[in-house]
Amino acid sequence: MATPNLRKAPRPRRSPIMRRAFPYLLLAPAVIYLLAITLYPGVFAIYQSLFVVRFTSWTWTGLGNYQGILQDREFWAALWNTFVIGAIALSVQTFLALTLAYFAYRDPFIRGWRIVYLMPMLFMPSAVAFIWKLAFNDGRVISDILMRLGLIERNVDWLASIPLARMTLIVADVWQWTPFLFIIFVAALQGQDQEIEEAARLDGASWPKIFWNISLPMMRPVIVVAVTIRGIDITTMFANVFVMTQGTPGGATETMSYFIYRQGFRMFNFGYASAASVLMLILTIIIAQTVVKRAFRSGKN
Amino acid sequence: MAQVRKRRSDGRLLRYLILGTWALVCLLPILWFLSIGFRPRTEVITPQPIYWPTFSLDAWRLLTSDWPIALYLRNSVVAVAGSVVIDLILGIPAAYALSRYEFRGRDDIGFFILSTRMMAPAIVAVPIFFLFKEIGLLDSVWALMLIYAAINLSLVTWIIRSYMLDIPKELEDAARTDGASDLTILREIVIPICLPGIITAAVIAAIFAINEFLFTLLIASTSRAYTMSVALANFTGGSDGIIYNAIALVSFIAFVPILILVILIQKHLSRGLTMGAVKG
Repeated sequence: MATPNLRKAPRPRRSPIMRRAFPYLLLAPAVIYLLAITLYPGVFAIYQSLFVVRFTSWTWTGLGNYQGILQDREFWAALWNTFVIGAIALSVQTFLALTLAYFAYRDPFIRGWRIVYLMPMLFMPSAVAFIWKLAFNDGRVISDILMRLGLIERNVDWLASIPLARMTLIVADVWQWTPFLFIIFVAALQGQDQEIEEAARLDGASWPKIFWNISLPMMRPVIVVAVTIRGIDITTMFANVFVMTQGTPGGATETMSYFIYRQGFRMFNFGYASAASVLMLILTIIIAQTVVKRAFRSGKN
Repeated sequence: MAQVRKRRSDGRLLRYLILGTWALVCLLPILWFLSIGFRPRTEVITPQPIYWPTFSLDAWRLLTSDWPIALYLRNSVVAVAGSVVIDLILGIPAAYALSRYEFRGRDDIGFFILSTRMMAPAIVAVPIFFLFKEIGLLDSVWALMLIYAAINLSLVTWIIRSYMLDIPKELEDAARTDGASDLTILREIVIPICLPGIITAAVIAAIFAINEFLFTLLIASTSRAYTMSVALANFTGGSDGIIYNAIALVSFIAFVPILILVILIQKHLSRGLTMGAVKG
């Protein structure tokens, strides 16, 4: 292996202190930048959450905002909605992606046309939200198709019922992000040692059995990492809610992100929004320290 | 024997039925939305959906006359490209340190960087809004650039770190005995070898930056800083209602470059999306 352009002359070795500090110096710019964009907002949010903020006037309220939030039905509803919508969407897309990956990964042509399966993911989320808003609500396409199939009799108002409104958000998320899990699962399955599967095949095991008993356990770490990443992103769902439902009906589709946005930037209740941010931050840290840390540890081995 | 063969072809039929159905599920909404972009507004929202519309360039005319679409596009490109450059400048040295050195707190620092990826944008939205208001950065492309860079720095660092871990240590040791300094090794050996990883990280960061919605919505309040993503949301405004055909057209204008970028890095996509956890 040639190493061109390297200085041949022996250089004076750096001092031990410099050598020790070197990796920290390499990391410093990135860490400082991230601290500035996370720690500063965190501290600011904690500070602001102790005030009632009305435009430029800040009035001290102590823990008043927190007291208010913990008794605020809308806050608990937002937390619950985020959980329900996220859990259903995540389960559905994990199941779909695994099923599709099972059928696709041994297909000789998959490399050629998997880009088709990726396309939904490559649309801007806001655009995807508009696609489904038009399909469900404004353009009535879904209703029309279901009527033609004879499944329903008249137009469905998807925003009138809580389960249906939530379902529109779930459909949009599943449609856009099943490809994310699919491409990862296919890559993981194709990266596995083929010989193990071949050996099991020679022993007379069927493909579904091989998948269930051998391939699936082997790719468990990958599933955990991928589902964790997707889970994080689902809980931050905002664009879909903003475009499609705005929280209707009666706040049943309002997610945490949308709750904070609405309190802060629609009702200009900034102290209150900050308090909600702090609570959500605490929740995030707990989840990060437990689930995510473990997921990424296991993903490496 | 005959029965085995029959069962196998049944399996293939089922496989293509399922894969084919899902391909349609992926494609039909996209094609239908594309058709929205090329129909007159009167044929978008109707009592009965129109599946075979008349062709029209109304949306295109609207975009080029009433909206400074070129400006939105330029804002997007400046903010996104700038943020990717920032990410690479900060992320490559960080990834190098995380992958190549033993030092105290390495794993904790690495996890801190990773964990910034988990912050919901909404958590920091209010403070960032006040911060940028204070320093006069609201409604500016630069603010968007800084935000996008912050959002993507964690994944850029982790993706590149994963590629750097693959480089055999002996290669560097050989260069080091030749008297090369650490920075020379990074520049002359490590960066060229993991160029695919760096490109993958850049592409994925660019996609997420284009997709970013919440901050863009908050920071960009006039067309001076509107990007494609917020421009979309803004077609919903006012007495005109939602102008779907313009929205469809704009989303395809953003879709095409992303599609091309992704085709270029297809082989590395799954590794990039899992921040290096899957080596596809």
